Amino acid sequence: MQLHGWEAVLFYVLAFMTLIMGVFVVTARLAVHSALFLIAALVNVALLFILLRAEFVAGVQILVYVGGVMVLFLFVIMLVQTRAEEEARVKLYTGQTWPAVVLALFLAVSFYFAMSPAQQAFRPADASQVQTADKGEASASGSGFISQDTQNVGEALYRQAALPFEIASLLLLVALVGAVLLARGSKQEKLYE
Amino acid sequence: MTRKESRLSFRRIVSLIISLAVIAAAAATLRRLLAGDPLFFNRFEPTLVNFMMLSFLLFVVGVAGVLSRRNIIIIFMSIELILNAVNINLIAFSRYLQINQATLEAKLGSGINPISGPVFTIFIIVVAAAEAAVGLGIVISMFRNRETVAVDEIDLLKW
Repeated sequence: MQLHGWEAVLFYVLAFMTLIMGVFVVTARLAVHSALFLIAALVNVALLFILLRAEFVAGVQILVYVGGVMVLFLFVIMLVQTRAEEEARVKLYTGQTWPAVVLALFLAVSFYFAMSPAQQAFRPADASQVQTADKGEASASGSGFISQDTQNVGEALYRQAALPFEIASLLLLVALVGAVLLARGSKQEKLYE
Repeated sequence: MTRKESRLSFRRIVSLIISLAVIAAAAATLRRLLAGDPLFFNRFEPTLVNFMMLSFLLFVVGVAGVLSRRNIIIIFMSIELILNAVNINLIAFSRYLQINQATLEAKLGSGINPISGPVFTIFIIVVAAAEAAVGLGIVISMFRNRETVAVDEIDLLKW
């Protein structure tokens, strides 16, 4: 797998934007800003999925994450908003920020040095050996072609993964009931007793 | 006042370093291009490893957020970042298997199933949605009882 031409440029742009938005999510002062940056990061990840020819997952990502989960997040932020964090004296971070940052940098650098020898192995030694399916032009799975991904995922979900699919629907039902039970107030509890 | 000035100078130093790095990278690129290296751009075209690096960096950002923030809602958002990093990894591996299916099946025998990547990703998204719903329900009921969303003030179970 190797992206060429504009796809390569697009990968770097999207990767950079995703990482920057992730850092903004973690460092933003207000939770609402954090949620908006997270929406931007999730849309970038969905575009990366399209770059990887997984259109169905990209659509699910937009619909479920951006349309469902993030709206839930924004609602809860507005329910719970104390507006205390707008003042500069309020602490944003716990005491373990510097250990976390140092650990994260150490992990990132060590992962880079562990993976960079492997990088050449994934690359054909001379550029003419690149497979046609990988070229991205005038081939059945190149850019500009709607891939078979949606059909394949649907078939796999209803054939090989039918039981986990049903269990997932049950899990969603349980989570729905649990969230309603957890979030109701004492007034509503008295109302139903 | 002094704090603001020092922060500004810190920003200036960081932007100076970044712009120097960009200029150095551009100069190196120009030098290699003028030297006429045919495989020069090939080296920068993203492969599976680049997707894994992106995924790992996103994961690390999420872990740093979980460990360092006080607001429990932002901790939940960092968990979503972590789950997305895993999804990128799964989809990239699935794409890699899809492209190299013939080669890998010649080497390892049949049983390569590239579609399991997106299927697992969909299940991860479902579980993430359920987790967010239940977690935010807990946050609401906790805020109702304790009037706070800061994780270091929620220490009832600490001895």
